[in-house]
Amino acid sequence: MEISTNDYRVWTEGSTIHYEGTMRLSGTDAYAPILEIMNSILSSKPELITLDLTGLEFLNSSGINLLAKFTIEIRKQPEVGVRVLGSKSIPWQSKSLRNLQRLHPALELTIS
Amino acid sequence: MVQDFGNTTASNGSDATSFSLKLRAEPLELSWHHCGVTSDFIGEYFSRACRQGIDPVDARHSISYMINEILENAVKFRHGGDVELVSSLEDDRFEIRIMNQIDDETAEKFQGHLTLLMDREPGELLLERIEENALNPDSSGSGLGLLTLMSDYGAKLGWSFASERVSEGVELTTFASLRLS
Repeated sequence: MEISTNDYRVWTEGSTIHYEGTMRLSGTDAYAPILEIMNSILSSKPELITLDLTGLEFLNSSGINLLAKFTIEIRKQPEVGVRVLGSKSIPWQSKSLRNLQRLHPALELTIS
Repeated sequence: MVQDFGNTTASNGSDATSFSLKLRAEPLELSWHHCGVTSDFIGEYFSRACRQGIDPVDARHSISYMINEILENAVKFRHGGDVELVSSLEDDRFEIRIMNQIDDETAEKFQGHLTLLMDREPGELLLERIEENALNPDSSGSGLGLLTLMSDYGAKLGWSFASERVSEGVELTTFASLRLS
């Protein structure tokens, strides 16, 4: 599964979801197709879902809401683990990703 | 009448590096896309003006994130008219004022929202808002922009509502400042 535009690309490989580029969509509705991809991975109930954000240079607050909402969906299914990969060279990730861990303490966050 | 919320004073003086921009409502057809382009441009501009010891990558990103969030609100809620940005940098302090027009109903709603916002710890409120959003799949806005700015970026924000300066509705000025590191 893949969504690709001039600004960003989201695609899956197994139970890993990759994000790349700049995502500044206008709100919940605009992010819905991306959430759909994420939910389809969750509905297959893998042991571990990986969100690879190491190529996501910019995300607006509606996009942060998308990640948070998905984290809450995963939290409801204790048998599904979640790992979030971030990059130290992308400032928003060190600032905002820790909120996901505050929502779901079992979430494994690696910013390297 | 003018009503102020939060921190509406500016500290940067005449020695500051400053930059202003007016996004004309017409004939450009001011749209969502202009938020990102404008905020990236100003972020880039000031990251090159930072003094030694300030991380230009972090400065560019933080300035861009801050402007984009406020500008997205300005474009989303504006009631016609131009959007004006006045920004400055002095030492490690970046400040911006963003002016736009909104209608009376939007102003009243937003003031109610700000009253709640001013009373609480932003980090706590951010998590609460996220949980609420997850329970309301139909809500179109996330309401996280201002909260992430205060909680994750340590931004100081303020709002001034003036009804006398415009013929119709209210002129909203959003004040924001950021310590760059």
